[in-house]
Amino acid sequence: MLTRVKSGTKRMLGMYHPRRDLIIFPDDVFLVSFPKSGNTWSRFLIANLLRPERSADFATIRQLVPDPFGTTKREFERVARPRVIKSHECFDPRYPRVIYVVRDPRDVVISQYHYHRKCRKIEDNYDLQKFVGRFLAGQTCPHGSWGEHASTWLTTRRGGPRFLLIRYEDLIADGVREVGRMASFLGISATPQLLAQAVERSSADKMRKLEKEQSHISGLTKDSRKDLPFVRAANSGGWRSNLPQALAETIEAAWAPQMRLLGYELTSPGAASAPVSGFEDLLGALAQ
Amino acid sequence: MIYGIKTIARYALGTDVAGRALAVRPDDTFIVSYPRSGNTWMRFLMANLLHPSESITFANVEQFIPDAEAQSSRYMKRQRGPRVIKSHQYFDHRYPIVIYVVRDPRDVALSYYDFARKYRHLEDQVSREVFIGDFVHGRLNSASWGTWGENVGSWTAARQGQPSFLLLRYEDLIAKTEFELARVARFLNVAASADVLRHSIDRSSVEHMRKLEQHPGGATIATKNARADIPFVGTATVGRWRAQLTQRSVREIEEAWGPLMTQLGYELVSKSIPEPAGLKVLVNS
Repeated sequence: MLTRVKSGTKRMLGMYHPRRDLIIFPDDVFLVSFPKSGNTWSRFLIANLLRPERSADFATIRQLVPDPFGTTKREFERVARPRVIKSHECFDPRYPRVIYVVRDPRDVVISQYHYHRKCRKIEDNYDLQKFVGRFLAGQTCPHGSWGEHASTWLTTRRGGPRFLLIRYEDLIADGVREVGRMASFLGISATPQLLAQAVERSSADKMRKLEKEQSHISGLTKDSRKDLPFVRAANSGGWRSNLPQALAETIEAAWAPQMRLLGYELTSPGAASAPVSGFEDLLGALAQ
Repeated sequence: MIYGIKTIARYALGTDVAGRALAVRPDDTFIVSYPRSGNTWMRFLMANLLHPSESITFANVEQFIPDAEAQSSRYMKRQRGPRVIKSHQYFDHRYPIVIYVVRDPRDVALSYYDFARKYRHLEDQVSREVFIGDFVHGRLNSASWGTWGENVGSWTAARQGQPSFLLLRYEDLIAKTEFELARVARFLNVAASADVLRHSIDRSSVEHMRKLEQHPGGATIATKNARADIPFVGTATVGRWRAQLTQRSVREIEEAWGPLMTQLGYELVSKSIPEPAGLKVLVNS
């Protein structure tokens, strides 16, 4: 009761994070991804597109591309429209337009593993196999599993005009091209110079430098270990050397259709040639 | 400001409606469906199955299978576990065990039209055709549950094939009620004899539910403030759309959700539907 009164007072003063109660405007765009899939990087890219006068950093990002779970109601009131809002949520029908950043789950699991170390959720020598098991069950973050996250968004919105799909791997391979796609989705007419500048200002090196200077003020890093970085490898395909084949195969077995659809090469024997099954299985389950 | 204070007071007292903010427990079971897809029927079937000695009515069903959208956080918190909870929510990753009931969207749309008029969300003179356009494109109140395709698609895409997810079709429930209810009992690990199954089915029959709805003094959450000339318990039929929907409406629905409907075994009747890229559930092979 007392904690409820306390949080009630905070609410009255607008000092709370609006979370799911955020009032959504029809011109909002949501930048959505599963955690550790390049969300913060994309946030910087977009912030540097929206405000080319000044380089984005970990202090200003909260207002440039606000997060309903990290930006207060008060701060939200000062965000200029049309807003681009960060989110890690599974499918939400209220989001009018969505930029969905997806990353190979075999890389995501490694990134989450190191992030959990940084946040002191696991020990340095925590069993990777155990972590992969929890990852598959959706127990390593409060946003469902990678498969649930990708499936719900892809099934409901893919192919529609209100949805832009960006692969993390493509951002790595050709940042300028992919940021160009984001810009046209956002209706920003950006010159090649502006695109290149946004990519340059959001590079892993720049972000590492900013992280060092600002780790004490950013909500993303404030209470975590300082000996481990938030901006880590920033590469694609790291799983090929860091994830044992058997673990890669359990991930492929769980989410083969989604991974195949997204163009993530499957390495399990026979996985590449296995048919993409559609409604047969759905109906088969119904007929039991 | 007054509104703000009210909200805060409600929140402090725990009288705010639970809704999507419901605190989910690991042993919760949810009956989920899009509105007008047999959710209340399934609720009666399950309440009768789980509590065979009780007489389930519209008034007491909330005690046995509460609706998180109608009850307060405090009420939901006081419910002893394991709880069975009714919901219309689009995919929520926190729901641990889910029975999902799906119905042909062409029949859902028709039933929704009657329902919207009953609750005065819609004037009688709005035609079915106009209503169905709004239904398909998410312009109605119901869009807070997502569209039919978003609701069904998000759940089936995320969970189909998992042992904690049971997908039921309304049409199968109508055609072979006892067989389907036996599946529900097995899914819940409830030992149910043929007698108990039949008893639950009788107590949840459309005739019995109509009688309960019309019972004097039976004003309940489900039916208060609503028009009395349109019943809550609908026709409980399959395929009414064939006679009552225009070709144009059928086409509009099939264009929006064709691949998903086909996956669920709902045959498309419109000619040359272009296949949209999305809304096809990926099922692991």
